[in-house]
Amino acid sequence: MIRFENLCKSYKTPAGRHYLFRQVNLEIPSGKSVALLGRNGAGKSTLLRLIGGMDRPDHGRIHSNKSISWPVGLSTGFQGSMSGRENVKFVARLYAKPHELAAKVGFVEEFAELGRYFDMPLKSYSSGMRSRLGFGLSMAFDFDYYLLDEITAVGDAVFRQKSAALIQQRRQHSQFIFVSHNFEQLRQFCDVALLLDSQGLRYFDDVDLGIAQYRAENHV
Amino acid sequence: MKPQLDLIRRTVLALFLREMKTRFGKYRLGYLWCLLEPLAHISILLLLFGYIMHRSIPSIPFPLFLLCGVLPFLMFNQIVSRSLNALDANQGLLSYRPVQAIDLILARTLLEGVIGTAVFLLLLLCLALAGQNIALDQLPALCGYWLLLLLFSFSLGLLFMLLGHAYPESEKLIPLLIKPLYFLSGVMFPLALVPAPYQAYLLWNPLAHALELIRHALVTSYPADHVHGSYLLLWTLGLLFFSLLFYKGRANALRRS
Repeated sequence: MIRFENLCKSYKTPAGRHYLFRQVNLEIPSGKSVALLGRNGAGKSTLLRLIGGMDRPDHGRIHSNKSISWPVGLSTGFQGSMSGRENVKFVARLYAKPHELAAKVGFVEEFAELGRYFDMPLKSYSSGMRSRLGFGLSMAFDFDYYLLDEITAVGDAVFRQKSAALIQQRRQHSQFIFVSHNFEQLRQFCDVALLLDSQGLRYFDDVDLGIAQYRAENHV
Repeated sequence: MKPQLDLIRRTVLALFLREMKTRFGKYRLGYLWCLLEPLAHISILLLLFGYIMHRSIPSIPFPLFLLCGVLPFLMFNQIVSRSLNALDANQGLLSYRPVQAIDLILARTLLEGVIGTAVFLLLLLCLALAGQNIALDQLPALCGYWLLLLLFSFSLGLLFMLLGHAYPESEKLIPLLIKPLYFLSGVMFPLALVPAPYQAYLLWNPLAHALELIRHALVTSYPADHVHGSYLLLWTLGLLFFSLLFYKGRANALRRS
């Protein structure tokens, strides 16, 4: 369960305050994976950052008694001059007990299939390789909710198939909050939908309804 | 409370190991630079002032005098000046929930403290092997002043990180204020040589107290009547209290973009 209570979020811009959320009150029920729909710039990533606790609302709060991952995107938290292995080790030290460290690094190494690149500086990675590392890294830990920000979009076909299998397996215990523009994928993995646009944040208890609404409003 | 302390310990350790890899990773000689940098610094000062100072301060050998000034000051400088943009430089790290802004400064202080202390001891050992007579009967006092200096640097680093975040302009101003500290802290001259009316002004600076006290702890004959450990202690505790208060007040703003 994740509950938004009077959530307000705005940014200061040279052209005045830009409001993303005004007084949002809604609840994502337990055991539901969420498709987060909306056009570029609607505030999807900001919402993920708010849920993940790396950004704070202006007013109101987000209440949850579940463990929530960091927002898994292409550019979060990696240090370019360190190798993939060192980056993974760092995060594993934060989230795992010392004796689990080797197992976590081994999991990511095997899942991401980066080969020799795993020991090369991260700045030499392509965006596909970054996403493999980022996704594999988040999957190494047990969270109740995983926040995925278009992470599966850039991988190749093999990786997509592999990650789809892993997500299905994880969904027995954990939930996902997905940002993606691939409707097929959203239908496959999600139960409910959140639609974010100029009308605010709307909740649909069926993912198909949410997608249909989004397509109707945007003529796609 | 216990699991929270454990989380802080784990986080600071992870950050510490990460800083260690990134700090010298780009240089060819890696960790050797920790030693070479202060060594070059001291050698140049020795070449420039060695002869004159040898006569002006008979109470302490000049290389030892410099070692006790340059090393602590460089350590202080590393912690404080790199704390200014600590938040900007590590924004990505704060996406991991266990990492708090204060952990960044804690880890940096720890790393620079370990490096600075190790290099200090190593160079002290070199001086001892070269025939320098070093008395260690005041070791507890030396450790005390050293730790106080580290705590002082941590508090000021924390304050600078918060200022740098609240007022981006301070990233231009504060370095300008730190630079003269090198001269105002008596890194390369003893405060006893400064004429009385000016000495009183220099003694406002707690850092000058720290350096003189460290020298006095190593060489008892070095005069330290003008400096006081209690002054340094009061400054440190006051600054620590104030920065922690400021940090508490800004905790939400630090996470808000």
